Amino acid sequence: MKSKQNREPLNWAKYFSPVFIILITLLFTSILIFATGDHPLTAYKFMIVGAFGNSAALISTINKAVPISLAGFAVALSSKAGIFNIGIEGQLIFGAIGSTIAGLFIVGLPAYIHLPVCLVTGMLFGALYALLPAALYVKKGVNLLVIHIMMNSIAGLLLTYVVMGPLMGDNKYVSATNIVQDTAKLPYLITTPNKMTIGVLISIFVACILWFYIHKTVSGYMLRACGDNSIAARFSGIKVKYYQTGALLASGALAGLAGSVEVLGTFQRLYDNFSPGYGFDGIPIAMLASGNPFGILMGAFLFGALRVGSINMQAKAGISSEIVSVIQGVLITLIASQYIIRFASSRIFNRRKKEAQE
Amino acid sequence: MNNTIITMIISILRLAVPVIITSMGTMFSVRAGVMNLGADGMMISGAFCAVLGSYITGNPWIGILFGILGGMAIGAIHSLVCVEFGGVQNISGLGLNMLATGLTCFFCRSLYSSSISPAVAAIQYSRFLERIPGIGYILVQFSPIFYITILLFLICCFFVDKTVTGLRMNAVGFNPQMVETAGVNVWKLKHISVLICGSLAGLSGAYLSIGQLNTFMEGMTMGRGMLAVIAVQMGNQQPRRILLIALIFGFFDALQLQLQINNVGIAPELIQTIPYIAGIAALALSTTKAAAARKMQPYLKNKYKF
Repeated sequence: MKSKQNREPLNWAKYFSPVFIILITLLFTSILIFATGDHPLTAYKFMIVGAFGNSAALISTINKAVPISLAGFAVALSSKAGIFNIGIEGQLIFGAIGSTIAGLFIVGLPAYIHLPVCLVTGMLFGALYALLPAALYVKKGVNLLVIHIMMNSIAGLLLTYVVMGPLMGDNKYVSATNIVQDTAKLPYLITTPNKMTIGVLISIFVACILWFYIHKTVSGYMLRACGDNSIAARFSGIKVKYYQTGALLASGALAGLAGSVEVLGTFQRLYDNFSPGYGFDGIPIAMLASGNPFGILMGAFLFGALRVGSINMQAKAGISSEIVSVIQGVLITLIASQYIIRFASSRIFNRRKKEAQE
Repeated sequence: MNNTIITMIISILRLAVPVIITSMGTMFSVRAGVMNLGADGMMISGAFCAVLGSYITGNPWIGILFGILGGMAIGAIHSLVCVEFGGVQNISGLGLNMLATGLTCFFCRSLYSSSISPAVAAIQYSRFLERIPGIGYILVQFSPIFYITILLFLICCFFVDKTVTGLRMNAVGFNPQMVETAGVNVWKLKHISVLICGSLAGLSGAYLSIGQLNTFMEGMTMGRGMLAVIAVQMGNQQPRRILLIALIFGFFDALQLQLQINNVGIAPELIQTIPYIAGIAALALSTTKAAAARKMQPYLKNKYKF
């Protein structure tokens, strides 16, 4: 009975803590906007109008959300196996490079073969990029964090090198490759009032598969066991290292898919610095949703709305769109301190309960 | 030829300074068991605050003080989240990076309505060393912060291995419970080490903005904080090894700059990847597992336990 009493408020707090976090972030941002002499509510109004005001805006929000959600799935999958994959950004970039190469140089295939080939190439490149850290982690116990940061830096430099060097397009004034072949472009779902590719379907599809895998399969159960308590999992005969390697590789593949979808869908060519940190966006979203794929979809939508809405806010209210970075930073820092928020809210809840009982 | 080598060495030392200072700071934090991915954020905050201080008062030394305080502010948030509230260190660090980058850009835009601050009073050269015969003309080319760095490095070397507090900090990283049993305030030690980390990173940010240049530019740290974190991990939290690795990073940075100026056929991006590849190789070949043994987890206070 006692344990039940202790657990109930905890669960409530678990559901409410994302709301608390978002509210505190809004408060902080409001103070900041207020300090620079603008009215926060006007700013938020412009932001909301810019992100959801009309169907064109809504579609660009969804487009932004697609790579972020895929990156979020990648983070979620590895964190279910107890691995914090910070290397998403690098894997995403490398995957994008891979799918661009496939999209540029494989010719003569019909679209229904070429496009999957490109996406799979992107995923393979992403997984390949995760292979070295995974191998070093499993075999040598190297600090994954450090090696992932280095891999991210290498990927960023490689991207610059590739678009300025071997894959440089015909237009020398833009640091980008040529446009990929028509058969490699993601087909559009809607073209008016704004273009939306089938990327969103891919994202939803991946969310469903991921949810099914994690919650409804034996392998997914074992993966979660590795993440929750690797020692217990090892003693119950689960090959922890096997699952952790697999999770890292799959996570890399998902990150590669995110990069591929962004390149083949949104830009249709590889730009230098095409990713404004999608990989890093995935981390807080996965944490906020505590690994639930559908929660990640919602979180990605929120982050996409922030990115799109801030542009409108900058244009209409004159508030620098850098405020998005601040909002995300506060959000992530608060997500990091989720434990204390849960603790505090459970305290408040317990006290209320006691008062009610008295 | 002789001249070229001297120029190169000067360039290496100048480029290595920010990484050295930040990695010394991060070393304290990592030794005490707090991973510091927020080094970049602390640096950029220090860089901006330094320019702000110099802009307001016109005195670069007050600017440096502001820079240290700016870095410390971010460090304080980090220690509040990670040490006091038992938060997730890596996520907090990443969040603070983003927050500090965003805040500095935001304030830079709203104060100066541009992404670059106006030129402020800076301390790029050490005029007081000009008189020294023979090598004075070399010494004068370094910012005074460079000499402060040398001093700081020596102090760090002494502090971490020879003083009680330094050794306790190290012990906290390995086994906080044991240290608490020995009657030491674990959290105070951790807070202090993260604050030291923040202030040193702030100093290195100040070096970037008013020691090397005289303005603040958005995103001017360019990942040097992460380089510092890597240097600490690769150097196994030993100050001398960290210094060596930071100098190697500086060497490749200088080489890359030289090649870019001389327009050699090799792409500068590929040169820049060399330190990372070397780092990965070093990590792969090293057999020590000391870093893995350190407990990079929060040590919760009893009052925050469920």
